Order: sequence, then structure tokens, then C-alpha cells
Amino acid sequence: MNLSRSGNFHGRDAAQRRFVFAAILPMVLYLGFFALFPILWGLALAFFDYSARRAGGPILGMGGDNPFVGLQHFREMLNFSPDAPLIVRQFHTSLKTTLFFAFLILPLNLAITLPLAVMIESAHTRIKGLFRLIFFLAVLAPSVGVAIMWSYIYHPQRGLLNGILTALSGKLVGISWITDPDLFFLGIPVALLAVIVAYLWQDLGYNLVIFIAALQSIPESLRDAARIDGVSDWQMFRYITIPLLKPTILLVCVLTMISSFQVFDIIQVMTEGGGPNELTRVMVIDIYNNAFRFQRMGWASAVSVVLFLLVFIISLLQSRLLRTEWEY
Amino acid sequence: MKPNTILVFVSLVVAAALVLSACGGAAPPPAETRQPEALPLETAPVAAEKVSLRVWTHQNDAFNEGLQTLADAYMAEHPEVEIAFETFDYDTYIQTLQTALPAGTQADILQMFGSWVCSYAKGGNLAQVPENVITLEAAQEQIFSAQIAGYICDDQLYGIPQEFNIEYGAALVNTRLAEETNLADITSGWSDWEAFIADARQLAVVQDGVMTRAGYNFTGSDGIAATFYSLILQNGGQYLTDEGFRVNTPEGMKALELMKRFVDEGLVDPVLFNDEQNWVGDSYFEETSAIGLVGPWVIPEYAGDFPDVAEVTQYVPLPSISPDPVFVASSGWGLTVSAKSPAQQAAWDFVRYVTLNPENAVQWNIASGTLPALQANASGAAAENLIAEFPYFEPFLKILEYGVHEGHFPDRDLVWYDITYPRVLEFLQGNLTAQETLETIEREVNESF
Repeated sequence: MNLSRSGNFHGRDAAQRRFVFAAILPMVLYLGFFALFPILWGLALAFFDYSARRAGGPILGMGGDNPFVGLQHFREMLNFSPDAPLIVRQFHTSLKTTLFFAFLILPLNLAITLPLAVMIESAHTRIKGLFRLIFFLAVLAPSVGVAIMWSYIYHPQRGLLNGILTALSGKLVGISWITDPDLFFLGIPVALLAVIVAYLWQDLGYNLVIFIAALQSIPESLRDAARIDGVSDWQMFRYITIPLLKPTILLVCVLTMISSFQVFDIIQVMTEGGGPNELTRVMVIDIYNNAFRFQRMGWASAVSVVLFLLVFIISLLQSRLLRTEWEY
Repeated sequence: MKPNTILVFVSLVVAAALVLSACGGAAPPPAETRQPEALPLETAPVAAEKVSLRVWTHQNDAFNEGLQTLADAYMAEHPEVEIAFETFDYDTYIQTLQTALPAGTQADILQMFGSWVCSYAKGGNLAQVPENVITLEAAQEQIFSAQIAGYICDDQLYGIPQEFNIEYGAALVNTRLAEETNLADITSGWSDWEAFIADARQLAVVQDGVMTRAGYNFTGSDGIAATFYSLILQNGGQYLTDEGFRVNTPEGMKALELMKRFVDEGLVDPVLFNDEQNWVGDSYFEETSAIGLVGPWVIPEYAGDFPDVAEVTQYVPLPSISPDPVFVASSGWGLTVSAKSPAQQAAWDFVRYVTLNPENAVQWNIASGTLPALQANASGAAAENLIAEFPYFEPFLKILEYGVHEGHFPDRDLVWYDITYPRVLEFLQGNLTAQETLETIEREVNESF
């Protein structure tokens, strides 16, 4: 059906028009109410000192006791003095941790999933499916369950990890992997690394399946031609597979980056919302705490806007850097 | 119809739907006019016409079963009143209150934790307690001061507590572990902190440099905050003053020094034992803590899963620096009435029946396993009944009168859990000096006002 100006919609009968209305109206209403309206409201709240505890003005509680503050929240975010209010310092901490988390997750994820996908794809057809299933199972597990499981693994006294280390070293090991604020590895808090490992474990299967699907779509004729030219396996991977996977890598990069910017549940459960000493406090935790624990909805919305802009800009950069001009 | 006309039409429909759905509730009048309607001082008896009351509570089976029993009895006495309960899990309840109250869609009677009351009352959402139910002066006489204080906002009473919420004053002691460590007389208590530290140190177990059992686990968020502020009071200080929030004082320093001693003497390793791991309730009942600082509400929560530990558990009063064992306490759970309830008179009558009738109040305390907010129920036959049901209440009943309300903060949870707990924990873990800790807490709490 062509709804453009150049189409012949104008000439359709009334019944067809009614059908069009009936067909699109529920979806428009649905999207309007559950997507567009919350986005616009969230954006508007960023310019108000809004708390749901206060009745505020007559239009959606904005105004009155929830006054318009313009760009004040954003200006406060730029206060980098050591004496900045706690809320601002927590935002800076969460911003730094989020960027660190996302930029660490992405290369680690790619470094594991891409070779793994190639290896699985090269395996015998009969066990290929089994490997896919095994790696994808973690994706299906609820994040809270995954977080609880890894918390047990990292538990200082009863944890599997310390248990293995104790068995290997012959003396009791009680490392507090996710609660010791003084534990760092290469300058990175071990608590954050521990969370990253848990996150990667759960997230790997998703990208793996995407890569496997992309690998399967590469025409065999290209590989055959390369083999005839006498390329090695590494050269095949480097000069055939990787370039042809570029659109998929772009997709995976964007999806992984977006999901790692939105990480919440694993951290909320594993480190009780960003501990120790806020070393794992990410932006969504900050948003959640401000919005729903302390009812600073205006500030939380402003942080959400910053998060949105970050994700938007980084996704845009990724798509520019990894864009291809061709298809196969 | 042209396509762009369709677009305009659909947009208008969407916009109208959004505006109507969002603004459909009655818009609250401006703040200065949002005073709750006070009932006449001398009200007539509850009208004979049918009245339906909705009660919102958080999901706690023991609490709600106790309340339902009282509601059934009340409805039998007042056939014209129908009471229906709607319950929410704890987190949902907080969010529901936060959004429903400003929107005016709340129930008639709202269960509230004491530290929440004023933030809602100041928004004009809660009705003042009518004087024919109880006057402010009478409430202050009849109810423990630490509990009624949370319900008093700007010298007006906005609800009535049902329980005494306590997180300090006595600690869980595993008597079996004490006996195994030749500390059989531990339940007789400690004369001072030196005696306490000596016992707790013996109960701690360290293997290969790793603490496998804490002697005294007080490093949960409630434990740290309650200890810090209680010790300030016991040292003769005040943290809420006319000049604002003050902890950077000699009393604050003494409080921190004693808490650091608990760590330095090997009673607990705050890196291994905190809210994130080995939380005191879990740790105590899993026997990785021999003495634990947590309120008596923890016993019913864990006794089912850990009956053997519950059986050998006793609460033992903690030593006090001051002659009177003063401690800080939050005002506990109680009942309030919505300012927008069309049946305020009936609602308050039910609240009075539940909270101010000593027999009914203690019946709920027994059903819910909570300490009484009514002073009358902390002694005499009511107290004996409570102790018969919950023997571990005994040391608490003796100290309730020394409870001091924690004070009114714009956001108490922020002060307790996001400022005091993390900063003191950082200090105990050795990442902040005592001076830095006091300065930081003082500055961050004052920022929140």
C-alpha cells in the first residue's frame, strides 16, 4: 500500500481507508504512549527539579513544587571541583566507570566471540549445533540468576574461585573479589573486572550466534578462490573473513556498546548497586538510585539524557568508522 | 482524506490520548492550598451508612495476618464498615506510594515506615490525626518518643506507629559457639566495652590470615549507622543541632575510634563482612559471625531456615558509654490516613482501634513479632505475653525507653545508606582517616538538607 503523496490513496474507497486507520492506530497509540511519551517526558523532566513525592504543578506535576530549572542539572554536572556535591561526584564516578566498562567489554567480547565463532563454524556439522546451544544457554539465563551464581563463585569464604586457589596453594585463600576496594589489577578495580567477567560470560552467546550466522552467509566460492590462490588459514581469516564480516562487526559493536552502557542488573545484584566504594557504580545504577530510591527524578532524567547522548554519539562514530560501501 | 490530513488526525488523536490519560486524574491544587482537610474536633460517631476502606500495606505475611485479624474483629463490631487490604512487595510499595500519593490515587489507610511520613505529610498527602482520636500531647505520653517522633511533622501528628523499630542496644549471640569458646557466662552481658571486646575477640576465627568467623559483625549498613549515631549520643554529643548536622566533633571522633577498635582488635574484617558480602543476618545464621548487630525482626525471618541456630540464639544488651544506654532508632511501621480519603472519620476510627487500644496493639505485636510502640505494652502483663511468645524480646523491652529518634532528614535513607554507611566503612577498611570521614559525612549530609 502506498501512502505517499504520489500514490493513489486518495482514490481508495472509504472501507479501505477505515482499514488503514484501524490497522495503524493501535500501533501509533502504543508507540506514542509507551515509547514517545516516556521519552519526551523524560527529556522534559531533565529541565525540572522534579520529585514524584511532590505534587507540583497541574501539568504532569511539573512546575510549582517541582520548579523549572533550565540547564541547571547539566551545569552542575560540569562542576569538577573536589568539593562538588555528592550527587555530582557520584555522576562523575558513574560516567567514568560506564565508559571504562563499555570500552573494556567491547574488545574483550570481540576478541573472544569472533575467533570462537570461526572455530565453531569450522567444527563438524554434528557438534556445531551443540556448541551453539552451550554458549547460547547463558544468554537465556536471567541476569539476576547469573549475578547470584557469580557472587557465589567470588564469595571470599565459600566461593568456588577461592576454593580452587586454596586447593592449588595448600592454604586458605580469602580474596574478596567483589568487596575489596583496595584490590586492583593493572590499575583496574578487581571488583569491576569480576563484574566484567560475569557480564561477558552471559553476553558471549548472543554475539557468537550473530557471528556464526554471518560466517555462514559468506559465499563458499570466495573461500574456494582463496584456497586455489594458496592462502593460509590465518590469511583467509585476516583478508577474507574479517573484511566480509565488517557489517556484522559494526552491528555487534553497536549492540554490545549499547547493552554495556545499559548494564544494571548484574551490578545491582553482585555489588549491591556499585560497591565497593562506588568502584562499580555505572550510570544506570546512578539513574536508578536517584530516580527510584531518592526520588530525584529531574536529576536522574538529566543523567539519562547524558547517557542517551553518549550512546548516540558512540554508535554514530562506530557506524562511520566501520561503514562499508559494498555488499556481497 | 489526504495523507497529510491522516497524519495530522492521527497525531491529534495520539496527543489527545496522551494528554487525557496523563492528566485524567484530578489535578492537585496549588501547594499553598493543599492543606489536608482536618476533621472537626468533636466528630459525630461513625455514620451508619456503608463505608468501604482500602488499606495499603507492604507484603509481610505476619504483619498482614495480624492486621487482617483485627480488621475482621473491627468489621464484626462495625458491620457498616468494609475493610479491604491491598498489598505490595516492599520495593513496589515504596514506588507506588511515591507516585500514587501525588496523583491522589492512594488507598484510605496507608501503612508507612516512620521515616517516610513527613516527606509525604509535607506534600499535603496525609491527614492529620484528629484530636478526637488522640492529641499530640497524649500520643507523646502514651507512645515511645523514638517511635512517635517520626510521625510528628511541624508539630502536627500524621499517623500512629504500631511497632518499635530497633537496630541497636542488644546483639545476637550464638550461645553454642560461646560455650565452645568457654564463654558460657556471655549471656549475663558485659560491664563495659573492654569486656565485650575481649569476649568477641575470642569468638573470632582467623585461618591463614583469613577471617572465617567474625567475633562481632556490626558492619552492615544499619549496624554501622546505628552504632555511629548511638555512640555519639552516648558520648554526650548531638548530631542534629541548630547550626545543622554536626558529626565533626569530639563525640563523633570517639564514636569512630571505638568502632575502629573493633576492627583493629580483630573482631571483624570489614572487607569480608559488610552489606555486599556476609551481611550480618546471613552471616550470623550461617555461623560465620558469633555476635551480630541486627534488630529482632531478623529472628522470624531466619528461624525457619536455621532452626538450630535460632535455638541457641540470645539477644544480649551491648555495653553503654553513658549511664543510660541511649540509642538511636527509626520510627517503625504504623498507619496513616490519606488526606484525600472520603472516609477519613471511619479510617481514623479503625487506626485508633488497631494502634491505640493496648490489647489490640499487643495482639498485633505478637502476631507480627514486633516490639510494642505503646509504652503500656512494654511492661506488665502485655510484656509478659510478648516475652512468653518471643523470649529474645526481654533485653529490648528493658531499654526501649532510652531510644532516641534518629531525627528528621529530607531523605533519611540517603543519610544512612549512601553517606554514613559507605564513608564509615571506607574508614574501617583503612581508606579514609577519621577526620576525613567526619568531615565528609558532615558535608554530604548538610548538602542534602
